[in-house]
Amino acid sequence: MNKIRIVPFLLFVAVFIFPVGSNAAKGAEEVDLCLACHADKTLTKKLMNKEILPLYVDGNEFKRSVHAKIGCTGCHTDISLDNHPIVKKIKSRKEYSLSRSKQCTVCHTDEQMRQRLPIHSSLAAKGTCVECHGFHAVQSSAVQKTGVPENQYCMTCHSRQLAMRMRSGETVSVLVNESALRNSVHGRLKCTECHAGFSMTQHPMKVYSDKRAYSIEKAEYCWKCHEDAYRDYESSIHLDVLKKGNIKAPTCTDCHGDHTVASTKKNRDIGITSCNKCHGDMNSSYEASMHGKAFRKGVENAPSCASCHGAHRVESTLTTGIKTGCLTCHKDAARAHNTWLKNPPITLPSFAELHFEGASCAACHSAPGAARAVYLSIFDRKSGKPLPEEALVAALETDSEGLMEKIDTNADGGIDAKEIWDLFALLRKKNTPTVFLGTMDVTNSKDAHLIGAKSEAAKDCERCHHPEAAFFQDIFLVMKNTEGKTTLLRAKGDVLNSIYSIIPARTFYVLGSTSITLFDILFVVALIGGIAVPIGHITLRIITSPLRSLRRMGKGGKH
Amino acid sequence: MTRIYLHPLPIRIWHWVNALGFIILIVTGAQMRYPHYFKLMSFEWAVKIHSWLGFILLANYCIWLFYYLGTRKIKIYIPPLHHPVAFAKKALRQAKFYGFGIMVGDENPHHPMPDDKFNPMQQVSYLMIMAALIPVQIITGLFLWDPKLFGPAVNVIGGIQIASMIHVFLWIFFSAFIIVHFYLATLGHTPMAHIIAMFKGYEELHGEHGHSHDEGHGHGGGHSHPKEHGHSA
Repeated sequence: MNKIRIVPFLLFVAVFIFPVGSNAAKGAEEVDLCLACHADKTLTKKLMNKEILPLYVDGNEFKRSVHAKIGCTGCHTDISLDNHPIVKKIKSRKEYSLSRSKQCTVCHTDEQMRQRLPIHSSLAAKGTCVECHGFHAVQSSAVQKTGVPENQYCMTCHSRQLAMRMRSGETVSVLVNESALRNSVHGRLKCTECHAGFSMTQHPMKVYSDKRAYSIEKAEYCWKCHEDAYRDYESSIHLDVLKKGNIKAPTCTDCHGDHTVASTKKNRDIGITSCNKCHGDMNSSYEASMHGKAFRKGVENAPSCASCHGAHRVESTLTTGIKTGCLTCHKDAARAHNTWLKNPPITLPSFAELHFEGASCAACHSAPGAARAVYLSIFDRKSGKPLPEEALVAALETDSEGLMEKIDTNADGGIDAKEIWDLFALLRKKNTPTVFLGTMDVTNSKDAHLIGAKSEAAKDCERCHHPEAAFFQDIFLVMKNTEGKTTLLRAKGDVLNSIYSIIPARTFYVLGSTSITLFDILFVVALIGGIAVPIGHITLRIITSPLRSLRRMGKGGKH
Repeated sequence: MTRIYLHPLPIRIWHWVNALGFIILIVTGAQMRYPHYFKLMSFEWAVKIHSWLGFILLANYCIWLFYYLGTRKIKIYIPPLHHPVAFAKKALRQAKFYGFGIMVGDENPHHPMPDDKFNPMQQVSYLMIMAALIPVQIITGLFLWDPKLFGPAVNVIGGIQIASMIHVFLWIFFSAFIIVHFYLATLGHTPMAHIIAMFKGYEELHGEHGHSHDEGHGHGGGHSHPKEHGHSA
């Protein structure tokens, strides 16, 4: 309902019933006439959506604006000295802003805007001119920027609900929560310290194919300062798979956020919550573990995901040593294990460290009932790194799916020792010397996270050192491709007990479990032989005893 | 009856420590390998005993080495290779004795003396055992004792599985050897003659050629050798 006071209204009508030349009405006079009513601070209009639209205009402010010369009707073209629609249906303030912004483009054309500041053409299309520049206090950009801090200048627009449209049709909000930004670890930075190429005079327009491409490219903002983190990230499985087209793989902002970047020292949750976005299925076992419980209690050095897996250099756990992460906190692990894991007469940490090399920490520290296995990785002796699946695929002239068929030549569903030897020999023939290195681990990654208390850890040597140890019931050949995908090929349970595996797996030895069966046979033969010699000799001596008696008697006769 | 002081005290100590150590090492080694077949002790204890004895026998080997090098008696282990033909003939004669002569009551062609304890067959086998097999067994044992500590050396031979293979081969050899060795030790003029001599140090010589007993061919003859076999056991 219009709150039009009767006196100004009559004044307005009185003025407009006299013929006045349009030129004369322009400029200051026109403004004064309009302000006769619109200087009233209580003048408002109730819109269709019940919003209240103030109709007050600060006359002084307007007269100082760049639009002062064009008067009111320069923009409000539907209103003239002859015609002022009293009742005009306006749905909402948003609609009103849009209609007013469209009016701006009459003078400030797209082409003109694109030349001056490309972002304008994009923003103008959304009809948001008035949101940034205001309604009546429009100033030239030179005046507007004077004395305004850079961040404040940026926030002029970016504190509003702005969005970028991608070629894919997706939209990305470019709204920046100013208070969150100020409270972030980057709160004291200028916008342009990250957003290189932008300034108070430059706002390049870029179009991205989709949201993911946008966030991947924006990661470069981070690298400028965080070089070390990026170097680690470069060798991570995350970047590997990202490069191979897995758009779910994380980049900087997926874990750290964009403008709300928190210090990882203050917000340690980032090492869990960000990982859980993709690896949430591991969370329950982590929460139930010693580590998770300690973390929730707020223990200062309790580990999050990143503590073990690395924050940026995240690698496949099957082919690399996750224990590096464990040993980062448990620095004295070797000495601690030495209290019971030692080989007399001299107690050396190297003996415990040896066990760390052959078994994962989870192998002993996860729940007793967890399934366990031996994983044989093929290491390239030249590079010292695991042979990627692609190299194996190329050597065997097959594809990933055909690997098992090519290696398991007798097609009995498991790789036996002879087939390991054949693979080893083939790779060697192709100038790829290898060594098969085994690791004892739990088979289920949930179990790997469910690390129990120290008192619950396995100390029974025979859990591993026994011909019938559970680990050696399931043996897998493991490899990963360059995308980080892991392939497991089942091997026979006795694959490490054959003379064929001695050379290929010559660096993997578990006392009592990787015994070579043929040597057992040799041992039995040697024992039988050793016993047969005395038995045979005694038998012959018994048989020939009469001969010696006769000879003695003969000699005795001589005597 | 003549007595010859054939086994000096350091050698006797070395021999019996070695003998006992070998037997326990063989048994504990088998226990680690075959816990599913027999259980004399836990794996942990088998490893502990095996490791302790390994070091004890390493020290024991040093006693043997220093004694023989220090007294220069090491030459009794060295075959006279400057007379190869004569040595070969002597070895052949000794083999013939073990295989045939002993059955028909021939005299042992070798009469042990302190500076000539071993017959040619003993000389070759003991030299091989003392100079090669035992050191190799000790070294591979050390590798297996702490493969990480000896990592660079383990890599030189190809890997820990290779060290294990050598160690197991020698375990098999010594297991068979010690049985034969013990049997030969009973071939003195009495079954216990050489064994007692290995305790007392003195070998008894019976009669002119030691024929006082059915098996007592010549001064302990080839059967004084079992004592010396014992040295290498």
